[in-house]
Amino acid sequence: MSTAIPTRPRDALTPADPTAKRKRKIREVLPLYLAISPFYLLFAVFGLFPILFSIVLSFMDWDGMGEMSFVGLAQYKFLLTDGRFWNSVGNTFIIWFLSTIPMLFFAMVIAFLLHQNIRFTKFYRVAFFLPNVTSMVAMAIVFGSVFSDTFGLVNSALTAVGLDAVPWLSSPWGIKITIAVMVIWRFTGYNAIIYLAGLQSISTDLYDAAKVDGANLSQVFFRVTVPMMRPIILFTVITSTIGGLSLFTEPQVLLGDSGGAGEAGMTIVLYQYNQAFTQFDFGYGSAIAWALFLIAAIFAIINWRLVSGRGDDTVRRAVRTKEARG
Amino acid sequence: MLGAGLLPLALAGCGSDPTISEDPDELVLWFWDRSASRDLLEQASQEIPGTDRHLRADVIGTSFDTKLRTSLAGDAYIPDITYINSNNALYFTNEDLFLDLSELGADSVKDDYYEWKWNLGTTPTGRFCFFPLDIGPTGYFYRQDIFEEAGLPSTPAEVSAAITTWEDWIALGTELKGAADAFLVNDALNVFEEFLNASPERFFDTDDKALYLRPDSAVRQAWDTSVAAVEAGVTAKIPRERDTDRNAAWASGRTAGNIGAAWWAQVLQQSAPDTAGAWRLASQPVRPGNSGGSFAALPHTCKDPEAALAFITWINSPENQAAAYQDESLFPSTPASFEDLTYSGDFYGDQDPLAFFSTAAESVPSSFISNAETFIMGKFVLELSNVETSGKDSEAAWNDAIGQAERVLLKRGVFS
Repeated sequence: MSTAIPTRPRDALTPADPTAKRKRKIREVLPLYLAISPFYLLFAVFGLFPILFSIVLSFMDWDGMGEMSFVGLAQYKFLLTDGRFWNSVGNTFIIWFLSTIPMLFFAMVIAFLLHQNIRFTKFYRVAFFLPNVTSMVAMAIVFGSVFSDTFGLVNSALTAVGLDAVPWLSSPWGIKITIAVMVIWRFTGYNAIIYLAGLQSISTDLYDAAKVDGANLSQVFFRVTVPMMRPIILFTVITSTIGGLSLFTEPQVLLGDSGGAGEAGMTIVLYQYNQAFTQFDFGYGSAIAWALFLIAAIFAIINWRLVSGRGDDTVRRAVRTKEARG
Repeated sequence: MLGAGLLPLALAGCGSDPTISEDPDELVLWFWDRSASRDLLEQASQEIPGTDRHLRADVIGTSFDTKLRTSLAGDAYIPDITYINSNNALYFTNEDLFLDLSELGADSVKDDYYEWKWNLGTTPTGRFCFFPLDIGPTGYFYRQDIFEEAGLPSTPAEVSAAITTWEDWIALGTELKGAADAFLVNDALNVFEEFLNASPERFFDTDDKALYLRPDSAVRQAWDTSVAAVEAGVTAKIPRERDTDRNAAWASGRTAGNIGAAWWAQVLQQSAPDTAGAWRLASQPVRPGNSGGSFAALPHTCKDPEAALAFITWINSPENQAAAYQDESLFPSTPASFEDLTYSGDFYGDQDPLAFFSTAAESVPSSFISNAETFIMGKFVLELSNVETSGKDSEAAWNDAIGQAERVLLKRGVFS
C-alpha cells in the first residue's frame, strides 16, 4: 500500500493498481459527500421515509397508536364513493380557478407598472411583496373581520351603497370567494416580483424596435411583453397550480378543521389533515394524499406538454424575430 | 449541524427505556398551558409530597393528542404522567397503554369527586384510567339588560323558572327576538351539544351499540330541539369557527346568550369586557350538563406508578383544586373545594357564578361517551349547519347524517 502513496499523484495511478486508485478516489470525494450528506440524511428521515410509509399506510387501517391491520384497497374503494372527498376536489378546483386567473393578471399588470420609470419603485416592490411574508393567523383574523356576515367592512360598504349584504362566510360561494381573495392578496406580490425579474431580462432592443414601428403602450404589452414572458408565465402557472392543489392554510385558519358551513371551504389537503389528525384515520388520510398525488401528476403532465411544446416555440420565435430585426 | 444534533436523539430512542427522562427520581408530566397551577407544579418539582421523587412538568403546545399518540406508538419518550382533555374516549380503544388507577388504590379518594366525572374516566371495560381534573358544568348565560328592556323575565330566578323545558326556552327566544331583535344563542350546534351534554344517554352504549338510531333517542331529541330553535329563528346562525363574529355578536348584544360551561365565564369576561355587569346565569332547561374538563392518566411505561398516583391525588385534592381555581380558573371536580372558595367580581352583577356552577355540578347526569362518537359527531354537526345556514330540509339532513355515519362506522369497524 505504502508504495501507492505518491509524490506526484497522477503518475502513481497506474492501471496495474486499480484498488488503490479506487480507494484514493473515495478518499478524495468522501469529504464532498459528507459535506452534502446532512440534507440527504434529513430528507431520507423526514421526507423520503414518510412518503414511502404513507404508501404502506394507505393499505392499512391505523388510528395512529394501536395495531395496524392490512385492509387492501378498502381505503381507496371508500375514497371513490366518498362524497366528502369529491366535494373537496371540486372546492379545490373552484378556488384555484377563482384565485389563479385574477392573481396572475394583477401580478402581470403590477410588474409592468413597476418596470416603468416611476418614483419609489423600491418602496412599491417591498409593499407588494409584504403580504407574502405576513403571518397567516393574523391575516385570517383580519379577513374574518373584513368579510364577517353581520359585522364586516365589506358588508357595511355594500349596504352603505344600497346593495344587499352577502353572507361571505356562511354561503358556499361566499366562502370560496373569500378564500380566493386571501390567496390573491397573499401571492399577487410574489408573482409580480417574479414577473418583474422576467421583464427586466427582456432586451430593450425589442421595445425600441416596437417604438420605432409606432406601437402604443397596450400593443407593446400584448405583442412584445406577454409573448416574451411566456416561459415565466408558464412557470407561475405551474407554481400556482401546485399551490392551488395543496391549498390548506387559508381555509384552515379562516374556517377551522371542518371547512366551514356545508364544508364549502374543505379542500383536498384540509380533508386529508382532517381525516388523519382530527379523526385519527391515518390509512384514509394517506389514501387521500395519494389520490391528490395522482391529480397533481395529471396536471404536471399537462403543464409539461404546454412548456415543452408551445413555450419553447414562442421563445424561439421571439428570438428569431429579434435576430431578424437586429 | 442539524444532522449532528439529531444523532444523539436517534441513539437515545434505540435504548430500552421508553420513558422520556433517564433520571430515575424524575417523573415527567405532559400538560398544556393553564391546565395546572404553576405554584403547585413548582412545589412538586422540588419533591412530590409523600414520595422521594420530583416532578418535571413539560408544557406541550398545540396538537397535544398527536404528540402523545406518537410517543405511545413509537414506544419512546413517553411521559410518566399525562393530562388528557375531555376527549379521553379517544384512548379507549388503546386503553391497555394506560394503567388502571383503581388497581393502584385510587378508589380510596373516589368519594371526594363528583360521581359522574369519575365515571367519565372509566373505560367501557370498567378500568379506571383517567383521573378527574377540572369539570365544566353548564348553564344558560344571558344579558339581563336586554331581557329587561324586552319586558321579559330578567332576574336569574325568573329566567330559570321560565325556561325549565326546551320548548319554554325557545318560546322565550321568540319573544326576545320580537321585542329586542336579539338571539338566544349563536348557533344551533350550541343547543345540540349542550342538550346531549346534559343527557344520560348519548350516541352509543358501552358495547358501542348505536342508541341514536332508535326512535326518540336522546340524539334525535337533541336534533329536533335544535331544528325547532332554528325554525323559530332564535339562533344567530354564526357557526363555531367564526370566533370574531361570535364575540362581536355577544359584545354588541345581537346575541343575548349562550349555553356555556363554568370555564366559559372566564372566556366571556375576556372577550366582551365592556358588557361587565350585564350578564347573568340561569339554569339550563331540563338539567345542567358537563362540557369539557380534563383528566390525568399514567402511561403503561410510568417509572413509578405509586409516586405518580400520589402526585395526581395530591394536585387534585380539594384544597389544591381550590388553589388551581384561584390561579387558573380551573373549575374543581371535588365538591369540598368550594368550602374554601369565595367569588369576588361583578361581571355577573350580584350573582355568584361559583355558587351557581357548583350547584349545577350536583345535578349533572352520569353518561358514557364512546370513542365511536368522534367518528360521526361531525356528520351531525355538518348536517345541522346545512339546515341552519342553507335551509336544507331537516328530515333529509337527518337521513344524510345517519347515512354518512353508517358508512364511516362500517369503515372504522364499529358496525359490521
